[in-house]
Amino acid sequence: MSRFFVFQNHKKSFFARQVASSLWLLLLCSSVAAWAQSAAPLARAPFSIRATHLLGFPNTKNNGNGDLTIKNDALRFEQGAKPVAEIKIASVQGVFLGSESKQVGGNLAKVGKAAAPYGGGRVVSLFAHKKYDSLTVEYADDDGGVHGAIFQLSKGEAENVRRELVARGASPGLRDDGSMEASTAEVSNENK
Amino acid sequence: MKTSKANLCICLAAIMVLAASPSRLSSETSPESATAGSGSATRWSLRVDRVQPGEIELAHSFQVATYENLLTELNKTHQFMRVFREGDRKAGDVSNLLVLKTTVVKYAQGSETRRAVTTFSGATKLSVRSQLVTREGKVVLDRTVSGNVRFFGSNLRATHNLARNIAKMIKESPWFGSEQPSATVTGRLTAANSRGGL
Repeated sequence: MSRFFVFQNHKKSFFARQVASSLWLLLLCSSVAAWAQSAAPLARAPFSIRATHLLGFPNTKNNGNGDLTIKNDALRFEQGAKPVAEIKIASVQGVFLGSESKQVGGNLAKVGKAAAPYGGGRVVSLFAHKKYDSLTVEYADDDGGVHGAIFQLSKGEAENVRRELVARGASPGLRDDGSMEASTAEVSNENK
Repeated sequence: MKTSKANLCICLAAIMVLAASPSRLSSETSPESATAGSGSATRWSLRVDRVQPGEIELAHSFQVATYENLLTELNKTHQFMRVFREGDRKAGDVSNLLVLKTTVVKYAQGSETRRAVTTFSGATKLSVRSQLVTREGKVVLDRTVSGNVRFFGSNLRATHNLARNIAKMIKESPWFGSEQPSATVTGRLTAANSRGGL
């Protein structure tokens, strides 16, 4: 009888030890997960991409090339030695994507194409176009005034910028009907 | 004899300086007086609202480009005391405030490549209804304005031309010349194609 009692006691202590170790493991896992979650935003690396500023960013010349960078809580546009222009990501009210096709080569190519004999420039134009993504960012200044900036990026890169901005707290944008703006590209400006 | 000549020269120079200074003073002050005397136009400030796409499916880049170009072009006209953006809290303190509302009524999607290849097709055309509204909600100017790009330039160039046409229409509007806040101007203005690139 006493032997049975001892066996029962031993079984109970084994069970208690198992429960305690399970609880300890659970606690450890959850604390590790919580630490990883809290550390994740801090560990987010700066994001940078080559872009052309079309218009709207503060203190930046239109049609200028530079690096569009997302660093900490700011969206920055850096043009070589020129002073960096930036806006707070928290002030971004909407990020919209688009795509369009443009002629490549700039003004020099335009002159060359116009000067080419027998309409040769037109044939060149037929092939000298490239598709771009456009990134439209709506943001508010310190007084609440609404601004809009448009950037031109290589095909497929605008979505990455948008995703990065939204991940860092930017509003993806709401349409008037209250529905969330589609994360994919908006209406294509040109279907060439 | 020499000294008298020198004295004469100095006197003449002094007279000329004295004669010139009032005119210079007046020319320095003339821009201010011109601004003050240019009628009711300078007394108004303007708030530009964002472009409403209406029932037209228009890319956000076009809406934003039109809005930004409007602000630039309207500032260039010097027609208004101040030009505010939508949402600007400072606009609330201004007494004489007009609001510019812009709604898209027509949009023809063009193609830069088609323009470059054919020159007669692929034009991007944008028409908007522009309304100047007082703080009380009275419409003082209601016009339909168009902007397009026919030959050279990207599609967004149409927004620049449109904004320039709207600014020109407001500047030349008889409402500002008449100085009659009760008058309402309505009409249609179609203009301009592009030969430059954006």
